[in-house]
Amino acid sequence: MLGFALIMAATRPVVCIASEPQSKEQRELFVTGAKLWPVYCAQCHNARPGSQFSPAQWDAITMHMRTQSIMPAKDIRAITVFLKQAR
Amino acid sequence: MAFGRRGGATVIAIALALLAAPRLGNAAGDGGDTRDLVQFRQEIETLKGSEAAERRRVEQDEKHIEELENQLKRLETQNQKFGNTASTLEINETKLKGETDQRLQDLQAQVAAKPSNTDFESEMSRYLGTHQFTLTGAAAGAFIYDKQTAQNTFSLEFEPLFLYRLNDWILFEGTVEAALPPGSEASFALPVATAQIFLNDYLEINAGIFDEPFGDWYEDQSPFWVNRFITAPLLYGAEPIVPPTDIGIQLRGSAQWGSLGQDVDYTAWIANGPSYDPALPKPVVGQTLNPENNIAINTNGRAYGGRFRFYPFPLDSGLGRLEVGASTYDGKWLDSNWLYSWGLSAAYLYKDLQARAEYAESYRQMPAGSGPDNRQGWYVQAGYFLQHMPSTGISDGLDNIIRRLELLARYSGVNQRAIVADEITTSPAIGFSGSPSIFSPHSREVALGIDYWVEPSIVWQTEFDLELPGRGGSLVAFNGAKTPTFSGINATANDKALLTQLSIGF
Repeated sequence: MLGFALIMAATRPVVCIASEPQSKEQRELFVTGAKLWPVYCAQCHNARPGSQFSPAQWDAITMHMRTQSIMPAKDIRAITVFLKQAR
Repeated sequence: MAFGRRGGATVIAIALALLAAPRLGNAAGDGGDTRDLVQFRQEIETLKGSEAAERRRVEQDEKHIEELENQLKRLETQNQKFGNTASTLEINETKLKGETDQRLQDLQAQVAAKPSNTDFESEMSRYLGTHQFTLTGAAAGAFIYDKQTAQNTFSLEFEPLFLYRLNDWILFEGTVEAALPPGSEASFALPVATAQIFLNDYLEINAGIFDEPFGDWYEDQSPFWVNRFITAPLLYGAEPIVPPTDIGIQLRGSAQWGSLGQDVDYTAWIANGPSYDPALPKPVVGQTLNPENNIAINTNGRAYGGRFRFYPFPLDSGLGRLEVGASTYDGKWLDSNWLYSWGLSAAYLYKDLQARAEYAESYRQMPAGSGPDNRQGWYVQAGYFLQHMPSTGISDGLDNIIRRLELLARYSGVNQRAIVADEITTSPAIGFSGSPSIFSPHSREVALGIDYWVEPSIVWQTEFDLELPGRGGSLVAFNGAKTPTFSGINATANDKALLTQLSIGF
């Protein structure tokens, strides 16, 4: 599934990861989110790349997905950080 | 000035010499001496006049020189002032040029420098406000063919999902279903409208009308682009085991019990509960559940239920992601008659393979004079992505097409004691082929599918359904009477259906 997500992401014109300095906590959340995203999302549907929505939209969508999937709060926070920065 | 003093001394010397000269002349003779004396005196007078004239010239020259010297001093002073001014101007020009260059560099740097994402997000958040509205959802357009009814039609459905985020712990969600049933009008429904309140990391309130948190299907698999197939498995389709939505309040949450990936989640809820078609003259076995129970006036109690799911494998174990769960749903549907339901579910994801299975059964208490209404349903499905298939060696374009395909298979069935003839509908719709073979006490369906994924949320799906109902059970029919007739169902015709659909999640 991760491969599929990456194939799909590669077809998009702009996909990059923000390179601005981050706090240690933010970096750890990003790394954890990158591990969880292709698995937790793909449990029900294809993992959608961060570039599909704005950071503000991801805030609302991941709240919605926390309810739908009932995943642990710390995990959805990590996925949110990943989706908002992997753009 | 020096020349003037030397000139004056020369004139005096000449005059003294001339004064001394007559004494020398007297020694020569008196007659000549008188003439000479007069001449001397005249010369002396002349010399005096010349000296005076010379003095005046000298004085004039000195005065002129003094004036020239003063002019020179003024010029030198002015020149010095001009020099100072020029220096000052030069310094100012250099300073101004330096400042201008610095400002230009700063501006160029500002223009060239990309604002940080954090700064940009902060600015945008301030601009957008704290209350954020997001529109997502899905749409589907399909072509449906059923062999037994010889029906073929296009169909369309649109399901916008509205999210309104007030802050980081309150979210409102609403889903509107807009469909095009037979005829010329549209139909609209409100399957989901909830307030989601996150009290802490382990407890959330979800209140409103919600997808039934029973098993995985209604909540997690029903959106067009999420469902790998076009249709629903039989136990969640036309003859469901539990209602698809309910109005009430839920408590839900989750926690990590071991390593990353090892989680548990729970849901407990109370709601209006089940109801059945009130258009029938009397309750009968095999009745179809209403999709929702808006106002619960048929019972004196609420329905309640719970769901517990368990994820045993750590994320880093390499074993994939496994979910196993159990659900209950119990509620009065009429007076003191209950509907008891329970179910088991499992989902597994491993690399390109994803699989699901659910089993559910219900026991419906019936009024006096009727036997119990029991039902069981199940499905097993699997899908495999071809994204890692080796190259065909024919062309990259063909490889790209093949690697976007997912092959699917599903087997599902429902057992129940009877089917109500008055509730059979064969009008196709999005997610439903219209096959009459589905309405069987022992319906069985084999579904084969192939999905072509344009993007992670855009898929062109094609599904072939083989309906293989078993014999047995009863057909209940009112035919306008108040008392139903029961007739045994023997052999039921098989059927085939083909559906193809473009599903877009946005």
